[in-house]
Amino acid sequence: MPVIETELLTKFYGGNRGIEGITIAVEEGEIFGFLGPNGAGKTTTIRTLLDLLHPTSGSARIFGLDSHRDSVAIRSRLGNLPGDFGFGKLVRGREAVSLLARLRGISGLGRALALAERFQADLERPMGELSRGNRQKIGLILAVFHEPEVLVLDEPTSGLDPLMQEEFLALVHEERERGCAVFLSSHELDEVQRVCDRVGIIREGRLVAVERVSDLLEKTPRRVSVEFGEPADLERLRGLSGVSGLEAGDGRVSFKVAGDIDPVIKAIARHRVVDVEIARPTLEEVFLTYYRRGAG
Amino acid sequence: MSALIAAQLRERRRSLLSWGLPIGAWSAFVVAIYPSVEAALTKAVRSYPSALKQAFGIGELSTVEQYLHAEMLSLIVPLAVGYLAVRSTASGLSGAAESGRLDVLLSAPVSRRRIVTACFCACAIELAAILAVSLILALLGSLLSGADLSFSAALAGFANVWPLGLLAGGLGIVVTGISLRTSIVTGSVAGVLVGMYVLDLVGRLDPSLDGLRYASVFRYYGRAVENGIDPLAFLGVTVAAVALAAAGATLFQRRDLLS
Repeated sequence: MPVIETELLTKFYGGNRGIEGITIAVEEGEIFGFLGPNGAGKTTTIRTLLDLLHPTSGSARIFGLDSHRDSVAIRSRLGNLPGDFGFGKLVRGREAVSLLARLRGISGLGRALALAERFQADLERPMGELSRGNRQKIGLILAVFHEPEVLVLDEPTSGLDPLMQEEFLALVHEERERGCAVFLSSHELDEVQRVCDRVGIIREGRLVAVERVSDLLEKTPRRVSVEFGEPADLERLRGLSGVSGLEAGDGRVSFKVAGDIDPVIKAIARHRVVDVEIARPTLEEVFLTYYRRGAG
Repeated sequence: MSALIAAQLRERRRSLLSWGLPIGAWSAFVVAIYPSVEAALTKAVRSYPSALKQAFGIGELSTVEQYLHAEMLSLIVPLAVGYLAVRSTASGLSGAAESGRLDVLLSAPVSRRRIVTACFCACAIELAAILAVSLILALLGSLLSGADLSFSAALAGFANVWPLGLLAGGLGIVVTGISLRTSIVTGSVAGVLVGMYVLDLVGRLDPSLDGLRYASVFRYYGRAVENGIDPLAFLGVTVAAVALAAAGATLFQRRDLLS
């Protein structure tokens, strides 16, 4: 049974579209990336899942429980890092951690303190005196210190320096190893590609794709660039199944290949080859492909 | 619940200094100068037009208690404490939403109703603490000047402000159920409080409009420093405040919390 499940989840703000018909299922131990630019509906989806917003129609379930009716029971097993983490300027990190621990019925702060050390988070200064990145570290600690079964992270690495981003990605992997499902919203495509098992792409409030990251990359054409040592039969290449956008110039031929690359390699090998480059698309390119399709 | 109340009070701890000390110091000053102005005041008040005395509730100023009521407890303290109360509940709800704290609290297994209840309880404790500081400073002023302020009268006078403040806090929660902007919450409730005062004033000035006073909390406020607390009014206003907070909690439970 999926730990997070939405069915045709829709949220309108008055007459304005928030999200429309979002259907997602996230399995136990899965890291699910939720991609989209600002305003696409990522945060609306998360806030509706967490019962901060009430859906206009459709349903959201976590652990099989209704996200609105059973929200308190759900939150006892869930960790959440909001998109723009804050806790009041005067509050110290340690006070925030202590409060959340008491609300969760946790007596010891051992794991929270260990995480603070790992992320070099300053728990003793008022949050108003901390940089955005340092506040974000405290937000991460609050989200994970109680070993939740589901983690919902909205733009988790914003403000973190590269070293801390690496540490965060390692932590996400560890959480998954523990069996925790992670729902991660981001527009940092590189980090999503590295950490997520599957991604959902949201555009203008609608889900346009849900795929395994590897499948998504596999489906998208590779870019091939060949430098021939002799005149090549370009028409033959152009005629191969899956080949598109063939261009020739400066002794190089470049094109895209979707699907099986074997016939292309064999066609290239009929000529003397000086150099060949075959590049897989990055998730960013895949993402842009979906967005351009929509714009077109 | 106690953790939420304690956290809210910790957030608001500065209000004890920023509100309790000024109100208390001013009350102490008013009490302290009474012996030196008593004779002149009595004479001046006798020369006031009776309509003016009736409108502003100015009675005889022949005792320090009457003077404390006229100068502090009839208008300044209730309005200040009412405003403080709405600031307290607004800070605990709309302010928490603006700072992001509410999102974090609602990540924990805590219902919105519990957060509202904790906020209202913290407001009640905060008001009591500030009124206690004010009372202590006023008594100190009396002790230093020899004004002979009665402890029980002063206690009744300051304690009587508590339900009125609580009502403002409850109103604040109701408005928070409609708008999560702190400025709208504090501004509208402050406006309602001033409106209620004006309503009471108009009702007292024009007997044909006396019925309007029933809609004003000041109608039930009285002059506890002189006459003691009216238990029915005290209880009634407190119950009304709790009912408003409960209604506000329901609105808050149903509303969207936008980021």
